[in-house]
Amino acid sequence: MKELWQIFSKGILEENPIFILALSLCPALAVTTTVVNGLTMGLTVTFVITSNNVVVSIVRHWVNPKVRVPVYITSIATIVTVAQLVLQAYFPLLYKAMGIYLALVVVFAIILARAEVFASKNGVVKSFCDGFGMGCGFTAAMLVISVIREVIGSGTILGMPIFGESYSPMLMMILPPGAFILIGYLVAGTKTWIAKREKARLEEEKGAVS
Amino acid sequence: MVQAEKKENSVFHIAFNLVAACFISGLVIGAVYYVTAPVAAEKAEQMKQESMRELVADADAFRPVAGREGWFEAQKGGAVIAYIVPSETKGYGGTIKMLVAVTAEGRVIDFSILEHNETPGLGDNAQKPAFRDQFKGKEASHMKVVKDPSDRENIQAMTGATISSRAVTLGVRQAAEAVASFKGGE
Repeated sequence: MKELWQIFSKGILEENPIFILALSLCPALAVTTTVVNGLTMGLTVTFVITSNNVVVSIVRHWVNPKVRVPVYITSIATIVTVAQLVLQAYFPLLYKAMGIYLALVVVFAIILARAEVFASKNGVVKSFCDGFGMGCGFTAAMLVISVIREVIGSGTILGMPIFGESYSPMLMMILPPGAFILIGYLVAGTKTWIAKREKARLEEEKGAVS
Repeated sequence: MVQAEKKENSVFHIAFNLVAACFISGLVIGAVYYVTAPVAAEKAEQMKQESMRELVADADAFRPVAGREGWFEAQKGGAVIAYIVPSETKGYGGTIKMLVAVTAEGRVIDFSILEHNETPGLGDNAQKPAFRDQFKGKEASHMKVVKDPSDRENIQAMTGATISSRAVTLGVRQAAEAVASFKGGE
C-alpha cells in the first residue's frame, strides 16, 4: 500500500511532468491562457495517461519489443479519439474550446514516456497508480500556470473579473513568452523547494543517528 | 533457443502485432462512434438553433432561405425580421467561420464565430462583447478597422490582434453586403 502511494505521489512533486521532467511543455504553453482550458486539458491527459498505462501493462507480454512504440501510439491514439468523441457528444462547448490541442494529446511526450518507462515493466495496479499520479501532477501544474496567467494576463479568474475596471491586463502573460518566463520561475521554485526538503530530511536522519 | 528467437522476430509476427493493434483500435473507435454520433449530431443541431436564437432574440421561428445555401430567415409573427448568413474569411491562424445576423435593411444585429484557430487570449477575444458590440446596428459602409480610439463610427481593432480584427470585420461586412444585394435583387 505504501509502495503504491509512493508511485502515485512521485508524479505530483518529485517527478512532476512539467516542473521536473520538463515533458509536455508545449500544451503547458498553449492551452493555459484560461483556467477552464488548462483544467480540461489536465483532466483529459489524466484520463488518457491512466487508461493507456493500464492497457500497456496488460498487453506488455504480447507486444513484440521491435514494434512496441507503434503499438503504444496506436493505443494512445485510440484512447484520445474515444475521449474526443465523448467530449464532442456530451460537452460540445469544452470540445470547441480545446480545439486542435485535444488531438495533439496523442503526441504528448509524457504519455509515451510513462508507457515506455513504467507501464511496460510493471503490473496493472502499479501502472494505474503511476499514470494517475503523473496525470494529477500534470493537472496541478496546468492549474497553477493557468491561474497565474489568467489573473495577471486577463485580470479574471474562470472568466470573472477580479480587479475591477481600472486594471490593465499584462498582455505578455497570455502570449507564449510570458508562459516561458513563468514556467522558468516555477521550475526554479519547485527545484529549490525539493532541494530544501531533501536537506531537511537528511539532517533529521543525521540527528536521529547521533 | 535460436529458433525461438527467430520466430519471435519474424516479419509475420511483427506484422501480426501491428495488425492486431490496429484492428482492436478500429473496433473500439467504431463502437464508441456508433454510440456518440447520434448524440453529437443532435447536440450540434441544438447548438445551431440556440446560437441563432442568441443572435436574433425576438424571432419565433427560423426557416431556410430558398436558393441560398446555409441562409436562414428569422421570422416574427410570419414577417421576416432578419437574415442569418454564414460567412467565411481567412484569419491569423486559418479559416474563421461565422454566422452573421443582418436585418432586412442591411444593418448588422450580431454575429457568432463557429470555428476559428485564432490565438487564444488575443484573436479569440473577437467573440467577447467588447469587440462584438461595436457591430450592432452598423451598415457595411461603416465597417472599417481603425486603431484610433476616438473613431466611434468604425470598428476598433483588438489589442494585439489586428489581423483577427480585420478578418472578422471583413466576414461581417461581406455578410451585410450579401444581404443588401439579395434584397436589392428581389
